[in-house]
Amino acid sequence: MHAIENHPPDSDTRHPEAMLFEIQRLSTEDGPGIRTTVFFKGCSLACTWCHNPESISAQPQLHWIASRCIGCGTCCTECPEGALDLSADGVTIDRTRCTNCGQCAAECPSTAMEIIGTRWSLDNLVHEVLKDRAYFASSGGGVTAGGGEPGLQAPFLAAFLRTLKQESIHTAVDTCGCFSGRSLDDFLPFTDLVLYDLKEIDPNRHRMFTGCANARILDNLQTIRARMAAGASPGELWIRTPVIPDATATEANIAGIGHWIADHLRGAVSRWELCAFNNLCRDKYLRLDRDWPLKANPLLSRDMMEHLADIARCSGVDPDIVHWSGSTQCPVT
Amino acid sequence: MATAVQHQEMPPLKTPRQLSPRIQWLRDYYFQGADRKWNNQFLAWSTGTPWDVQFNEMTFYIVPEAYTLLQTLRGSFRQAARDIDLPHAFWSWSLPERRAWFVKEVMVHHVPREILPGDLLAGARFNLQTSLCLTEEEQKAFDDALLGKNGARARMKWFHDHGYGNTGATSGHLVPDHAMVLQNGWRGIHGDLSKCYENLNRIDQEGPRGAQLRAMITAATMPRELAAAYRNLCLRMADAASDEQRRQELDRMAENLERVPWKPPRNFWEAVQTLWLNHMLIMSDENYPGPGVSFGRIDQYLLPYWEVSLREGMDREFGKEILKCFWIHCNTVYDAMIRNGRQGITSGFGQLITLSGMGPEGADMTNDLTYAILEVIDDMSPILEPKPNVRLHRGTPPTLLDKVVAMISDSQGAPFLLNFDERSMAGMMREAERAGCRHLIHPDNVHDYAPVGCLENTMVGNDRSGTVDNNLNLLKAVELALTGGRDLLPFHNPMTGKTEPIAQDGPQTGDAVTFESWEKFWEAYTVQTDYIIRKCVDTYEASESLRARYFPTPYLSCLVRGCAEKGLDVTQGGAELNFTTLEAVTYATTVDSLLAIKYLVFDRQKCTMTELITALKANWLGFEVLQTMARNRAPKYGRDDDKSDAMARQVMNLWCDLAWQHRTTSTDRQFRPGMLSWNYWAGDGFVMAASADGRPRGQFLSNAICPSNGADTKGPTANANSVGKVLGGRATDGRADWGDYFNCLPNGASHTITFHPSIIRDPEHRTKFKAFLKGYAENGGTCLQVNILDPDMLRDAQQHPENYPHLMVRITGYNAYFTAIGKELQNEVIERVSHQGY
Repeated sequence: MHAIENHPPDSDTRHPEAMLFEIQRLSTEDGPGIRTTVFFKGCSLACTWCHNPESISAQPQLHWIASRCIGCGTCCTECPEGALDLSADGVTIDRTRCTNCGQCAAECPSTAMEIIGTRWSLDNLVHEVLKDRAYFASSGGGVTAGGGEPGLQAPFLAAFLRTLKQESIHTAVDTCGCFSGRSLDDFLPFTDLVLYDLKEIDPNRHRMFTGCANARILDNLQTIRARMAAGASPGELWIRTPVIPDATATEANIAGIGHWIADHLRGAVSRWELCAFNNLCRDKYLRLDRDWPLKANPLLSRDMMEHLADIARCSGVDPDIVHWSGSTQCPVT
Repeated sequence: MATAVQHQEMPPLKTPRQLSPRIQWLRDYYFQGADRKWNNQFLAWSTGTPWDVQFNEMTFYIVPEAYTLLQTLRGSFRQAARDIDLPHAFWSWSLPERRAWFVKEVMVHHVPREILPGDLLAGARFNLQTSLCLTEEEQKAFDDALLGKNGARARMKWFHDHGYGNTGATSGHLVPDHAMVLQNGWRGIHGDLSKCYENLNRIDQEGPRGAQLRAMITAATMPRELAAAYRNLCLRMADAASDEQRRQELDRMAENLERVPWKPPRNFWEAVQTLWLNHMLIMSDENYPGPGVSFGRIDQYLLPYWEVSLREGMDREFGKEILKCFWIHCNTVYDAMIRNGRQGITSGFGQLITLSGMGPEGADMTNDLTYAILEVIDDMSPILEPKPNVRLHRGTPPTLLDKVVAMISDSQGAPFLLNFDERSMAGMMREAERAGCRHLIHPDNVHDYAPVGCLENTMVGNDRSGTVDNNLNLLKAVELALTGGRDLLPFHNPMTGKTEPIAQDGPQTGDAVTFESWEKFWEAYTVQTDYIIRKCVDTYEASESLRARYFPTPYLSCLVRGCAEKGLDVTQGGAELNFTTLEAVTYATTVDSLLAIKYLVFDRQKCTMTELITALKANWLGFEVLQTMARNRAPKYGRDDDKSDAMARQVMNLWCDLAWQHRTTSTDRQFRPGMLSWNYWAGDGFVMAASADGRPRGQFLSNAICPSNGADTKGPTANANSVGKVLGGRATDGRADWGDYFNCLPNGASHTITFHPSIIRDPEHRTKFKAFLKGYAENGGTCLQVNILDPDMLRDAQQHPENYPHLMVRITGYNAYFTAIGKELQNEVIERVSHQGY
């Protein structure tokens, strides 16, 4: 169970740092226009379907990318803990010994050994994301803070978004909603758009799939709704629902989420996106030496996605806000 | 809503559509290739003298694939050439007069004339190999200078064999003054030439200027006489036509030819007929098919005729039909060596058309003809010629961007290049400044520029900038800096089996092993760069001076402003704007090699200079760990990383400053810098030794201004930003070259980016892609080729992951480097790209 205490180590408040696992430029899936998405490392949920398993732990993590490896053994020599072993099958990491110190990754000639998770100072991160401001301007895009759960690094997130707003950059936060409500008011004033995940409406099932019940998530969402109603930021709210076979991909769940949106968020949501299950992350689990129960699950069919989208449209929300995206099964050939 | 379109399958290959039976037939017939009864292959013609030669091999010096064929081609054309009866006075004339008469005689009286069924334009065969028209004495002098021990051919071969690149005085690559012919007709040009001649004093009339003008006057009558001959053919065919509609068309074509191109055209059909005859005769005159002989802003100068004809009742579709015939005609350049197949020189002749772009005061010039031509391209494609280049700028209308992006989405990649005005015009203004020609290129006319060949920016109607004449491997300077001026490896001649001993070819900059700092190495690199540029300039001079002396093109000279006034052939520097372009090849490989040397040897001390040099000599064999480090750990250009890009700027600035220091001796043409690599980056990868960036011999070099293959791991925006930065970036303080743009490469630079198809999968994403293009106009380079990832590329990446470390697959929110995922997943991604288009 991943608890909310999954915080990165305290950072110096005068020189705040974030723990990130990726910065994605020309991102076209995380809000309007062309965006740079900053992925914060560390999540308060541990969804069984998570397609970024490396985002869950707030700590740096070592992984080994087989296709890059030339089998030189430098990593094994460099490892001060003797945690690495090179055999015909490649490098194995003894996770009980590995301290994620990163020495092997620093010396690996091919970057096959890689530490996921990098500390970024505010100044450097702002400098980095502003490199694409011409594309933000031409597209109505901007910067999205995603993850992981960016709300877990709220002080940094707030400072980051505040700086971007001073630069007139459109900001979005992509959140699972599971964090202390007190953090919300740190960063909401500097957030133009919230992309909010509503995964499962039934609290027990939510706990079963993600490790947490959804009460706090729904509370925080209502807080956001209240801020919007008062004319404060964010100006826009999108809801995203991962559609996972044998989990969230049920008529009851989609209809239930729709009812909840209609009842509690009427008029506030401008887009509700159903995101089809993606199984392309299987290798990521392997590289973290984790088993993934969903690894054999097939993609949903296009018909199924259309059907659930229809359910969503009839659930009481404005049907025009419903979209769906993602990969579906290849047509039979 | 987005989802409606999202799951449509993408057609694997664009197919032509909406073709009338006429065009469908012409297109199908064309693609029968060598099986066709009719074709436009080279026909060779001789003065009948025993020493006669047709083939001007210098035009092929920039085509390394052709080197082994030079002697054969020279012999075969000579063997096949048919004799022409010469007038008695022939040998008493000057060379340009002989040549003008000979080409005209062949075109008007000897080359067979046909009109294909349904064709709306006259002017079919034009690929010629005409006699050089040299006297015995001239031919001997020419051959000595060409084929002697230190002749042009040997020097150009040495230059290529030793990895410097290639250089040679090449034909085409300019935009002729078609607008002048449309306005005044050839009659006007003829009249102007006669006046120029009459205004010469007696001594000049009897001298070379007079001879040149007389040759041009002769050449100026060639279009009239050829049109008359085609008119007769049309009339004969009309008489024989059983189909009434066809009879009327042929009558109308005869009427057109009675007027044009001698008199100015009055309507669209006449204007296109004029344009075609102007154009095809340049290729006859130069004895070379379509080498970047470009049309310039066709949607601007043809617009008045388009509008007149539409007003007078021409059906818009019929106007497009005329254009489609024009398209077919352009493709017949490929017939020149049709029996060779379509590889090498027979692919991509680059008769470029320019569409849209900026006008005076930043106005956008897109018009109905722009769209009509795009529709023609859309209907006809895939087809190779003419190549379109669409000029975009900040004020490009959304409708045009929509059309451009729709065509890209439809074709799995762009059926055109995209030129970016602000950055390009900045380059032209830089040229004006550096070359002191602000009276010819200035803020009031720079928007009239047009690219030639592919993307090489020039002015129009008065500019020959030799845009593909010099192709220099900058990487050679890194090699020579490592060795102190000697080749890293001895040249082994596969034809003779002999290995040449290594010599001290470049300046002695010292043994790099003794260098104690990076600065020392950089110093050596600058000295060697200066040397390879001089070497290129000297080697070029050999063919440039021979062309100027022995290969006049009087017909083409009529179409280039400056030649008549100066009484100089365009090959002798007659154009008002005379440049020759030094195209840098291997830019990113050079930058990355320098970055790797700095990183491996000096900054991180991962190896000694001795080890590095040994590894390069061994082609990295036995040094795989070091090679892997060079590839993966050393910094690279193209990631929008300020430090690496600063090195790229240094290389760029050095190279440009040195390029501007040179002029040709024989013709006084100013060298200017550019970046284009045609296909050399592939072929020369086998010629050049291993490089410090981790590349082994035999692997491709980097292409033009693009980052090294696979180095752009931060995606398209970072890639584009790096390119814009090394061209000079922007400044708002008034120092910039044009507006707030800098551009140190007047010629422009070729840039290709490959996108994942998800970027164009639905209207919402197409809007984002349009925004990318607008962002590119702000931050990027002069010219962009958009490629869309296809399954074949993914399969290749699966086989050769080392070439594709940057390849990103994006599936709605899932992003991964393709080569970092397992084979089974890769197969799945390939499946999806094949079936769903993303």
